[in-house]
Amino acid sequence: MSDWWTYTPADFLMFSPRVYLRLVERYNQDFWPLQLVLVTGTLAIMVLAAMHVRYARIALLPVFAAAWAFCAWQFLWLRYATINWGATYAAMAFFLQAGLLALLSLRASNDVLSVSRWRRYGGMFLALFGLLVHPFLPLLATRSLAAAETFGLMPDPTAITTLGAVLAIRGKRLWLLLPVPLLWCAFSGLTLLAMEDRGAAVPAASIVLVAAFLLISARSRARSARH
Amino acid sequence: MRFTRRSVLQGFALGVSLPLIGQPAPAEVAGVTRRAIPSSGEEIPVIGLGTWITFNVGDDPVLQDECAAVMAAFFEGGGRMIDSSPMYGSSQPTIGYGLQKLKYPDRLFSAEKVWISDPTSGAEQIEASRAYWGVKRFDLMQVHNLVSWEEHLPMLFDMKAKAQLRYVGITTSEGRRHQEITRIMESQPIDFVQVTYNILDREAEERILPLAQEKGIAVIVNRPFRQGSLIRQLDDEPLPEWIAETGARSWAQFLLKFIVSHPAVTCAIPATTRVDHVRENLEAGGGVLPDEAIRRRMLDYVEAL
Repeated sequence: MSDWWTYTPADFLMFSPRVYLRLVERYNQDFWPLQLVLVTGTLAIMVLAAMHVRYARIALLPVFAAAWAFCAWQFLWLRYATINWGATYAAMAFFLQAGLLALLSLRASNDVLSVSRWRRYGGMFLALFGLLVHPFLPLLATRSLAAAETFGLMPDPTAITTLGAVLAIRGKRLWLLLPVPLLWCAFSGLTLLAMEDRGAAVPAASIVLVAAFLLISARSRARSARH
Repeated sequence: MRFTRRSVLQGFALGVSLPLIGQPAPAEVAGVTRRAIPSSGEEIPVIGLGTWITFNVGDDPVLQDECAAVMAAFFEGGGRMIDSSPMYGSSQPTIGYGLQKLKYPDRLFSAEKVWISDPTSGAEQIEASRAYWGVKRFDLMQVHNLVSWEEHLPMLFDMKAKAQLRYVGITTSEGRRHQEITRIMESQPIDFVQVTYNILDREAEERILPLAQEKGIAVIVNRPFRQGSLIRQLDDEPLPEWIAETGARSWAQFLLKFIVSHPAVTCAIPATTRVDHVRENLEAGGGVLPDEAIRRRMLDYVEAL
């Protein structure tokens, strides 16, 4: 593609918004009410982990790993890839993320909340947004909740909730869990932009928020070190 | 690696037993202007059917049936050429589903593309495409966006010599790589070239269309409506009354008539998901095609908007 600069995101959009929305609706129908189980179950584990309940702390990252693997297999690999061949590669990245989550869940120190207030609350905000608010975004576009995107089933809320959780907790090598969800948010934002969907702002804003929270946290840590 | 699930999809699609719409009558439907393919003299209607985006519907049975209905209306209205590519997601299995449902109409002119950078995989990809369509062979095989054309073209010429396909072509879109396209048109014995050409994107008029006439190469026009944005752009504007003398009664027909009235153009391939639109498109290929004076007037009118 020697003339790559002549391409826009719209040139890579190979399906219509209607086809995509019907795909999501049919997917939701296939698994209903698993959406409720995943959202309430993950919320309960996150709250209990924040309250230092031991089993919840141990379960947190493995639950996220399972969510990424399920989303990769059921949505990206089996469904989305039928209308977007790029989703096959995204599925591989999601499986990689699931593996990383499983691997890092073996580390005992991951369950401690971040010492930085900004990172901790910023992460909690993102995680709760991905888990509880994101599914209702179709209402803003006057669309039916049949096309709601929920954690564990759809990539966007899974990525955003994970970014929030990774920000909120402290642990060695947890930065390894950031690239895949950030890349997905970039890819998803561009896809939604090409679909002329205002929801494109959500993954884009998530990237900006993660960068901002990490930056503020680093500055505040540097300031504390000087004092 | 890619599309491994598509074979499953295709199997699903072909396995579904659905009521048949009915095979279009093989007799030619009057009305749509036909142009000769210069290399053979075979005539094809000037309006074809593109499948980019519109036929990429995955395994959704409702949408697959909608596409099959579009194909049925296309054939019933006298259409012949359906164009697709391995790049178009599930469009190939969708076409295969529609063709099976319509019992493989005789009038079909199948236009496909090879789109793979590894030259050794070209034949394999063409065979996979053929299986999705469910046809014995393709009428036209094009090198998509000139990807590895130096390697693919000799293979396609060889397949043509063995009667495994009937015509060979190359494609580009949105004005990209026109210099390379003209170089290939000058040096290779291709039958077809596919380019973007519409009332606002007229770079092809400079060199490609005159060269196609000079070298006897058929021209397929893609993106006649700029993926629908041209129609959306013009929809609020009044259609000039004088265009009625050509039989055009909508902006879509206005735009298509401008394209297919160029003497070098063999076929335009608008894509749609709607039966009424495919009928409207085919109608544009009938009636009076604008002459040079009307084409000038059409151009001036649109540029003044």
